[in-house]
Amino acid sequence: MDFALTGEQLEMKRQFYEACIELEKLKPEGFAGLESWYGSDEYFGYHRHCAKEFAKRGWLSLNWPPEYGGTGTIIDVALFAEARGYHDIPGVDPFGVRMLAPTLLAFGSDELKRKLLPAIASAEATWCQLWSEPDAGSDLASLTATAVRKGDELIVNGQKTWTTGGHKADWGFGVFKTDLGAPKHRNLSFLVVDMKTPGITVEPILFMDGAHLYNAVYFDDVHVPAKNILGRENEGWKVFNLTAGFERSGGGEIMRMQCMLHDLVAYCNETRRDGKSLACDPLIRNRLSQVACEVEAARTLCLSVVDLQSRNEMSLMDAAGIKVFSSEVGQRLASLATDILGPFGQVKFSKWSPLSGVWEKEYQNFMRVIAGGANEVQKNIIALYGLGLPKAK
Amino acid sequence: MNIDLSEEQKLMARSAREFVKRNVPKTLVREMEKDDRGFTPETWKEMADLGWQGCVIPKEYGGVGGSFGDLAVLLEEMGRACLPGPFFSTVVLGAMLLLEAGTESQKIEILPRVADGEAILTMALTEAGATWDAAGVMTRAAPAGDGYIISGTKLFVPDAHVADWIICVARTSEGTRPEEGITLFLVNARTLGISYSVLKTIAPGKQCEVVFDKVKVSRGSIIGKENKGWKVVEMVLQWAAAGKCAEMTGGAQEVLEMAIKYANERIQFGHPIGSFQAVQHHCANMAIDVDGMIMTTQQAVWMLSERIPCRKEVSIAKAWSSDAFKRCTSLGLRIHGGAGFMEDSDIALFYRKARTDEYLYGDADFHRDVVSRELRLDAP
Amino acid sequence: MDLRYSEEQKILRNTVREFAKRRVPKTLVRELEEDAKGFSTDIWKEVANLGLLGCAIPSCYGGVGASFMDLTVLFEEMGRACIPGPFLPTVVASLTILDDGIEEAKASLLPDIAQGELILTIAALESEGITGAKGINVKATPKGGNFTVRGTKFFVEMAHVADRLLLATRTTNGKSAEDGITLFVANTRTHGISTEVIPTMGMDKLCEVRFDDVILSRQDMLGGTDEGWPIWQKSLERGALIKCAESVGGMQACVETTVNYSKDRVQYGNPIGSYQALQHIMADMWISMQTSRYLTYEAAWMESERMPCAKEVSMAKAYVNEAYKYVTKWGVRLHGAIGTTREQDVALYYRKAKAADTVFGGTDYHRDLVADKMGLLRDS
Repeated sequence: MDFALTGEQLEMKRQFYEACIELEKLKPEGFAGLESWYGSDEYFGYHRHCAKEFAKRGWLSLNWPPEYGGTGTIIDVALFAEARGYHDIPGVDPFGVRMLAPTLLAFGSDELKRKLLPAIASAEATWCQLWSEPDAGSDLASLTATAVRKGDELIVNGQKTWTTGGHKADWGFGVFKTDLGAPKHRNLSFLVVDMKTPGITVEPILFMDGAHLYNAVYFDDVHVPAKNILGRENEGWKVFNLTAGFERSGGGEIMRMQCMLHDLVAYCNETRRDGKSLACDPLIRNRLSQVACEVEAARTLCLSVVDLQSRNEMSLMDAAGIKVFSSEVGQRLASLATDILGPFGQVKFSKWSPLSGVWEKEYQNFMRVIAGGANEVQKNIIALYGLGLPKAK
Repeated sequence: MNIDLSEEQKLMARSAREFVKRNVPKTLVREMEKDDRGFTPETWKEMADLGWQGCVIPKEYGGVGGSFGDLAVLLEEMGRACLPGPFFSTVVLGAMLLLEAGTESQKIEILPRVADGEAILTMALTEAGATWDAAGVMTRAAPAGDGYIISGTKLFVPDAHVADWIICVARTSEGTRPEEGITLFLVNARTLGISYSVLKTIAPGKQCEVVFDKVKVSRGSIIGKENKGWKVVEMVLQWAAAGKCAEMTGGAQEVLEMAIKYANERIQFGHPIGSFQAVQHHCANMAIDVDGMIMTTQQAVWMLSERIPCRKEVSIAKAWSSDAFKRCTSLGLRIHGGAGFMEDSDIALFYRKARTDEYLYGDADFHRDVVSRELRLDAP
Repeated sequence: MDLRYSEEQKILRNTVREFAKRRVPKTLVRELEEDAKGFSTDIWKEVANLGLLGCAIPSCYGGVGASFMDLTVLFEEMGRACIPGPFLPTVVASLTILDDGIEEAKASLLPDIAQGELILTIAALESEGITGAKGINVKATPKGGNFTVRGTKFFVEMAHVADRLLLATRTTNGKSAEDGITLFVANTRTHGISTEVIPTMGMDKLCEVRFDDVILSRQDMLGGTDEGWPIWQKSLERGALIKCAESVGGMQACVETTVNYSKDRVQYGNPIGSYQALQHIMADMWISMQTSRYLTYEAAWMESERMPCAKEVSMAKAYVNEAYKYVTKWGVRLHGAIGTTREQDVALYYRKAKAADTVFGGTDYHRDLVADKMGLLRDS
């Protein structure tokens, strides 16, 4: 049992934080987390700038095999995520870098790897995921979009939804039904799709605060080369599960919570209400401390998952556990923070909003308990695949 | 004690529900969020024709002469609809305050116009500290000639941007306790020196910053007694808290119904999600919260209606409802999954509204403190 | 970074697990709860013979010389098995003596502890039940070369069978509560010391210990006069961490028992473990256990590496206290009525969880320390 980092890892960590602190100086006003990247050209431009900076240093491909330019390990990836999370720095495409690249390395043909990986490492291509459909959310296996083989091509038809950043993406990856006769879980294939292919239409879905982050993507007889399938044809479910695991295990978000906690502490120290400093209020002290303990618990649980990942031992249960816990802590933190801010907690970014209005946004960030498989479904995974509980009849 | 609705009230609730269903669809509510005024004058006028604004105004001032309980019935239906507009501020913060403490000439001048839908009122109480106690009142009204000059900044004033009259809570002298030395002024919103800006907030409904920059008012504009205004504010805050509870109760019932409807329609894993126990228990938890809201609110409203002292009961209702409404809307949103996030989602509207309603007229902790005092626990 | 158990740690874990399986069935655990002594001397001896009591004592004092992290592994298994006996206070006190005792004390006490010849306990709480320095008010008054101790300690684990007491006293009233505390290692057979077992929920033989003008010599002192607080604080931290480890083990047992029960128990024609409402609770129990585990491991590792870790320890204890109670509460509830009976293991852990919460600092005590360490200023 050893939590210690090696000298090299500590040095990398120092460099990650140094770079993030530099990039933080360029951060546009009102920028807050992944949820805002795709919402404005200014924010997206900042994301692209950071991405280029990281690409220059080889940090978008840290744990890749050396032949594709990898120089580090999954631990470095985790440390990098922590630094970015703490300073809320974008620059790592959650879909291209975090999800698709490891999937490609595990399941992609050499040709696909050679074709797609360099543009991910150099931050030239932006990716999106094509998973949910209007009638297939957390129950992804019941999706209906089809990719029917015709010679060397697949003809794709149907609708995807909740495609974050679809309006900015060059490439997309997703699961489609390729065997219309086969049962669930054995009828899907995992495809990568050039978003500029004729027949693809991207339409905005506005978030409850009016921001454009998500999209509906329509496929109308879209021709995709059959060699764009990752893994075997009709075995997309297996590929999907691996990719989803990468989506569910994120340490960056937890460090962001730590940073936000630090800001809250400063706010409580500076703010007086009814003649007393908020930091002295026993209720605030107790509740803030409670959430801080939970954030730390999330951080250590995340470390344990990184440790498992470093040996390829992460199970579905582990990924589900960290997803459920950290998303729920995030909600509790947001709820507590808006409570502490009182009426100011409802104010959008403006001269009246403390802490750059971040908590008003966070409070609406329901995505984390639902996206990537609703927490209810994650708990099914823990119960059925982890604890071995029987399936309901 | 009988806290059930009377036959007339049930009838009123039904017709109010039909009215808002017909005239205030959720699409309109969302449209009004972006609208500068935040409501449609036509609907406002129709509501007046139905006697809503005049609900609690006695007949001699052109109203209907109903009770606070009647008003709560309307507020509950408005809560179901997320009805936009300055009804709450005009009637609860304005008309009821004037009825309680206004001079005869103030009542005669203003109340009939409120009942006709021609006057919009609000109360400017909270300031930068955003507290609901007297110590938060820093805005000063200094004597000058035969009147006063008001200076200070009010924050989170509902509907000030459309108000014709603002009841300004100001400090006229320093007492030994913060509750002393507070005076209420009835100020024409267009008086020189008043400026406002609308705050951008999470929720539907407009709240404003109102700056009083050396605003001259006459002695005649004082409501009630000089330096004795806080007692009136306290009473109004009790009505407002209970009224807000009624509104939230309506909202929570609507949310529960929406959640059940969606859970029965949405198919995942081959079944309506409402057939999954996890979702069923979410709904059951919401129902338990809603019931608590209904019971505690009805108790407080009835006691207020009967003018029975009920500081504790009002605070119990507000403390419970503030938390419960947040829990309900949060579960409602969860049951809706991705569909709840969309800008055109009705459930999200309530989720955002719950965040504002929670704090208005005292958040849960504020009211838990009041309950503690009423239980004879010493202040720290 | 490698968060797996080392080979030695695996051996240690398996040794305890097999021993407990063979020698300490839960029937015996419950039997010993009713026993006046509260533990079995045979088992105590056997545990000592396995080298477990001297686990963290260096070999020069007759121990094994393992790390604090190893101790954590050991106590996680002890907690899982609920092995009754004064293991925890003996081991924690031995670490304090090892760190801060004079050479004679070490040489005379540590080998005996490792051999299982000597039982130690820690006298922390007094009548007010305050964990921190403010709670230490038993007076030790200098008299000649000695000290006279007067006062009462409460909730001292197994003092009725202990040979030595690690005792915190107040020798002077300094500027802050932390000044003026002096520690002693007192022989329990010293004239004037009397003990009485307090009947508690955990049935873990917590005692009232009275000091009626007890004369202790300078040789009994641990650390300097008035300089005991930092040593005591460290001792509390270690105690809290070991308690966390025990609790994680207890949670593990409770989760396993509950999952197994829910697979067997049939209601409405299905094993109850197939119902989603119960599945999701068990998923949450598992998450609580896992988070508690790694929070504890991280703090224990820091302690093992002798890094400053007061904040991490308090975070762990505050979190694990609540998690253990949560997990065992649901363990009992998922067993239904049977879960509340004396024969059920979940009921045993449920009681142990409450007992664990009360020693080495309750949740609110540690949360307040965390608030300090987070930088929330107490007064300005």
